[in-house]
Amino acid sequence: MNKGGIYTKKVIKYFKKPHNFGRMKNPDGVGKVGNPVCLLSKQNIHTNNDLKEINEIFKKDRVLSYNGRYNNVNRVVMRDYNGEILIIKNKLGTVSLTPDHLILAIKIPKGDKFLRTKNKKQLIPAWYHAKDLKKGDIVLYPILKEKNSLSYIAINIPKLKWDFKSKKIPNKIPINSDLLRLFGYFLAEGYIQDRPCRTFISITLNISETTIVKDIKGISKNLFGLDPLIKEVPKRKTVIINLYSAKLARWFKQLFGAGADKKIIPNFVMNLPSEKQKALIYGLWKGDGYINLARNGSRAGYVTISPKLAQQIKTLLLRQKIVPSIYIDKKRKVKGVSHKESYRIHVGQRDSLIKLCSILGVKYIPRSYPSVDSWLDEKFCYTPITQIKKSNYKGKVFNLEVSNGRSFISEAFCLHNCGDVMWLYIKVGKDRKGREIIKDIKFETFGCVAAIATSSVITDLAKGKTLRKALKIDRNQIVKSLGGLPPIKIHCSVLAAGALSEAIYDYLSKNKKEISKELEEIHRRIEKEKKEIKERYKEWIKIEEEMHKK
Amino acid sequence: MKKITEKIYLDYAATTPVDPRVFRAMLPYFTEKFGNTMSLHSFGQEAKQALEESREVVANLIRAKPNEIIFTSSATESNNLALKGIALANRERGRHIIISPIEHPCVMESAKWLETQGFKITRLSVDKYGFMNPEDVRKAIKKETILVSIIHASNEIGTIQPIAEIGKICKEKGVYFHTDAAQSFGKIPIDVNKMNIDLLTASSHKMYGPKGVAILFVREGIKIAPLIHGGGHEGGLRSSTVNVPAIAGFAEACRICQKEMKKEAQRQIKLRDKLIKGVLEKIPDSYLNGHPQKRLPNNANFWFKFIEGESMVIQLDLLGIAASTGSACSSAKLEPSHVLLAIGLKPQEAHGSLRLSLGRWTKESDINYILKVLPEIIKKLRKISPFKS
Repeated sequence: MNKGGIYTKKVIKYFKKPHNFGRMKNPDGVGKVGNPVCLLSKQNIHTNNDLKEINEIFKKDRVLSYNGRYNNVNRVVMRDYNGEILIIKNKLGTVSLTPDHLILAIKIPKGDKFLRTKNKKQLIPAWYHAKDLKKGDIVLYPILKEKNSLSYIAINIPKLKWDFKSKKIPNKIPINSDLLRLFGYFLAEGYIQDRPCRTFISITLNISETTIVKDIKGISKNLFGLDPLIKEVPKRKTVIINLYSAKLARWFKQLFGAGADKKIIPNFVMNLPSEKQKALIYGLWKGDGYINLARNGSRAGYVTISPKLAQQIKTLLLRQKIVPSIYIDKKRKVKGVSHKESYRIHVGQRDSLIKLCSILGVKYIPRSYPSVDSWLDEKFCYTPITQIKKSNYKGKVFNLEVSNGRSFISEAFCLHNCGDVMWLYIKVGKDRKGREIIKDIKFETFGCVAAIATSSVITDLAKGKTLRKALKIDRNQIVKSLGGLPPIKIHCSVLAAGALSEAIYDYLSKNKKEISKELEEIHRRIEKEKKEIKERYKEWIKIEEEMHKK
Repeated sequence: MKKITEKIYLDYAATTPVDPRVFRAMLPYFTEKFGNTMSLHSFGQEAKQALEESREVVANLIRAKPNEIIFTSSATESNNLALKGIALANRERGRHIIISPIEHPCVMESAKWLETQGFKITRLSVDKYGFMNPEDVRKAIKKETILVSIIHASNEIGTIQPIAEIGKICKEKGVYFHTDAAQSFGKIPIDVNKMNIDLLTASSHKMYGPKGVAILFVREGIKIAPLIHGGGHEGGLRSSTVNVPAIAGFAEACRICQKEMKKEAQRQIKLRDKLIKGVLEKIPDSYLNGHPQKRLPNNANFWFKFIEGESMVIQLDLLGIAASTGSACSSAKLEPSHVLLAIGLKPQEAHGSLRLSLGRWTKESDINYILKVLPEIIKKLRKISPFKS
């Protein structure tokens, strides 16, 4: 029986009988990491998620957090920055951020073994500084979890003064696949004419798309009791469908925004269960998407000039377990016609394409079995970094403060510290070949069960190893030796690995020995975190004091 | 450390086992008297009668009228109903609410939500024992204030607030007064009239009743909006089919508490004081959280220097003792308890907190056992800790 509840038997075993604990007299090196202070909800961290776009996020906006839910932004903090920034690209988009920004990711170790996705999937994600990541490392993107299954929606648009002609439409309509399909068609091909006495919805289609015309006609009759006007324009090879109802048109405008470049999907639709959203995707794709299964690299895609809509379609597809890629087509002129900057959502991966085809009701038998580089689980979409560019930036960067401290971004920080402190002492000796080894090792830890177990296990792992081998002990190895750790406690293993490298650093620098670049880097990072925690702690105490005064 | 075969439960503040007498009282309502209280036939009426009788018994424990009791599913729901229901029904009168900093999360979060809906929330402070100053409440009440909500006894540190004085001030000022009595209900006497309480939350599973039932007392004539709409149960304030077996059990638990409260409290106070005295004497660098006397009969909360709470709780669990901590490591949010921070503990001190809460089946031998093993556990963990004097 697992007595510790959330912990594995091995963790409890190490906790009950920790090895090598206590203070060491005259150690050759000491590594001290952690801080007994917990700094969570009230901090703002390097969250320059996207240098440009965060500018537009205001207080009370909501951002998608690592737990797959939307959280409120409480504060947007701006600071001046002058230095290097990284532009990280993957399938789902591009982000610009400062090198010390933390990202939830999987670092792919060297070696042929990890060329195969199957082996990559076994690695455990953690928070990394942006600068520590390489091309090919896997980043995690949360899948929207918020579900709010509405079955009806009210049309709360008052009757307009000048509107005598419109037919009466119901005040409440069911949210069913009919309505969502219509939403899809409208998002793809519709627009609103809004002038007094001439307010209506208009959808323009290709003249050959008779099934869609029929579908819209049926939906409109069923849901609103409206007979649409259908006008064929053979000269332009188009068919125009107009729904004459001022109230309905105003409502659509309120829901989807005005103008093709500002079109959005309303929140209540985004939050519907994914099963229901299939109808919306169907409508969108039938309206404006393309699907090409005949060519060698079978693909499907959707093009829009609304950046927000592109992001929303990405979120919708991820919820269907479809991994899209987004490309930006620059402003250009084709045959004298100018095209605005557009966003192309591309679905090419075999499994994703199969799922999309089943939504669209298209038969698709894949011919080849191409390699899979991205995968999904319940919570995240895992995709590799395709490019990292460096660039210099001078100007403002933005930090978000997200409520509950549970942000995709700010969680990064707390995962590095839940109030544990580890001190590691080492004694260095020589083995028969004259290499420096860890002769003895001891730890002292203030912290939870996981902290004590990880400290104990790292002493076992490091004892007798050469310094170089000891430095290679990483989080994965520690977690494995313990038979797993609960996700919320993974940071303890990071802490333990940090303590060991700090102890070795201490020994090397005391004895004026050569220190590798990587070790120097780790040391600098830990020092910096320590400093930041101390600074924040001061600030935090001040806030507390102020609160008590009030 | 010798392992014992029998487990010791010292986490009665988290939840209590159902008293066998309560369990017996519930049984007929599962299979025989299973009717829906809204049905007109005899099955329904039988259930309805049980419901109304239970309402009377529960009301009697706080000297309220039966029609002032609304049965809900949990204290969390009751607190949500109290705050949101009063706020939404009285927003024309004003949009200001006062709470203490040591409320249960369900009150804190409800208040936070109301803030997003345009209400103003004032969070008062407490002293180092966790006491509110009634005069602070008087000063904080404004023209727009509609509700004051103060927890009766803290679930973490057990401090009992001067509810009667605060109630008096609220009555003078004409402001509704809600108290969350989930921890104190059935343990110490409550009189809603003498204490001028307008709304009160109490829960069954903290006083040896079944889980899944609680009450909100709402004084007659107070305007409150329901959160759950439907068939108009509970006077239209809490629709949904009534959980008769649980309510019958709740009523039986109230009957038992009414009969045994005085004697039981005296017994527990004796044990609690022995525990507190023993721990503080036997363990160096140990401190009591909350007031030494003005606290719940069953609550003892300590903090120990140099060690962390989760380690302590798991060590105790390995020895068969169930306890709880306010440490950040044990919470889902990785944040230390807001109550301990509010009484002035530093985060690292809150990490080392341990709550032991006694109950109906706590024996003196249990206290002796914990006094024997706790010093050893703490000594062991301190040996591992880098911080020591």
